[in-house]
Amino acid sequence: MKKMIISVLFLAFVSAIAGAAITFFNDMTAPIIAVNAEREEQATLRKMYPDGEFTEISGYTESEEILAVYEVKGQGYIVKGTATGYNTSTPIIVLVGFDQNGVSTGMLPLQQQETSGYGSRCFETEFSVPAYSGKSSAEEVDMLSGASRTSEALKKIMEAAFTAVQEVR
Amino acid sequence: MWQNFKNGFIKENPVFSLFLGMCSALAVSTTLNNAIGMGVCVTIVLVFSNVIISLLRKMIPDEIRIPVYIVVIASLVTIVEMLVHAYAPALYQSLGVFLSLVVVNCIILGRAEAFASKNGVGSSAVDGLGMGLGYTFALVLISLVREFLATGGIKFANPFNSEQILFGFSIDALKGFTIPLMSGPVGAFLTFACFAAFFAMLKDKAAQKEKEAQKK
Repeated sequence: MKKMIISVLFLAFVSAIAGAAITFFNDMTAPIIAVNAEREEQATLRKMYPDGEFTEISGYTESEEILAVYEVKGQGYIVKGTATGYNTSTPIIVLVGFDQNGVSTGMLPLQQQETSGYGSRCFETEFSVPAYSGKSSAEEVDMLSGASRTSEALKKIMEAAFTAVQEVR
Repeated sequence: MWQNFKNGFIKENPVFSLFLGMCSALAVSTTLNNAIGMGVCVTIVLVFSNVIISLLRKMIPDEIRIPVYIVVIASLVTIVEMLVHAYAPALYQSLGVFLSLVVVNCIILGRAEAFASKNGVGSSAVDGLGMGLGYTFALVLISLVREFLATGGIKFANPFNSEQILFGFSIDALKGFTIPLMSGPVGAFLTFACFAAFFAMLKDKAAQKEKEAQKK
């Protein structure tokens, strides 16, 4: 019995020290990790507006599809949207750009694992540039035959993105 | 002590001779950068876990030694993971889940149980360093072959600033003759098998020499 108590106390003691050490290092690294993430986010947004100044804004009805909305100072908006396409384990994540009048300027995939040669064609610039830029509502966005589930997912994102931009504009 | 250190490289190389830690060795040896990054992380964890466990070896009640080892190793891995995430984000990205999986890397638990729990602090540290560098050495060997055959060149970037390339070359004549398969699991197994056979041959020769020496 005594042995058991000693074992339990020892393990608890070791765990407590380990916990303290982890807390210490977490406090040390967390701010640096946050700064890095912020910088990376800015770098991704700059792919759409190379010389933009970005601020994350709120004021739109939150929905499953919208991860974030950014205002690009004096130029327009960027919506980061997500939806599940054909590949249910890796959701599609895209950036959708808008100008100040709420007209879409393009779509940029950040993450997608759609079927190569079918759904993935939605993200090839040959299709995506005419299909996603210069549209003023989600109804005008084209779908791609043979890639219905991916197209549906993108359509869902576009609908949510247009609504969000309408609301914040 | 020197013998302890040297053992980790050829005779008791954790990957090629003891066949420990193979999951991560095969998975992250796609590029030289990953191999060195992973090797250094494992070496750091191995040295510290060996030292801590060796210090505690007389206090740890025998029945709960494995849980204590796991707590020590898991905390060290978490700390190393946080440091890598903060200071070498590119490496963190490319190692992905395999960095956290160092916790279950059997080299570390194996050395804790087989060596550090029975030996003094100094020799445990040296054993950890030898084993860790042996693991790194194995990863580097595999990754050199795989990266070269898969991309036609070798590139090593500064882990703290991924845009700064420390050294690298690529042979233009090989463009179009690269073997992308080598960066996949098949390439890992093929390369690993060749090296393991080579190391087995080295060990065999050494053993034969010893036998002959004994006869005389």
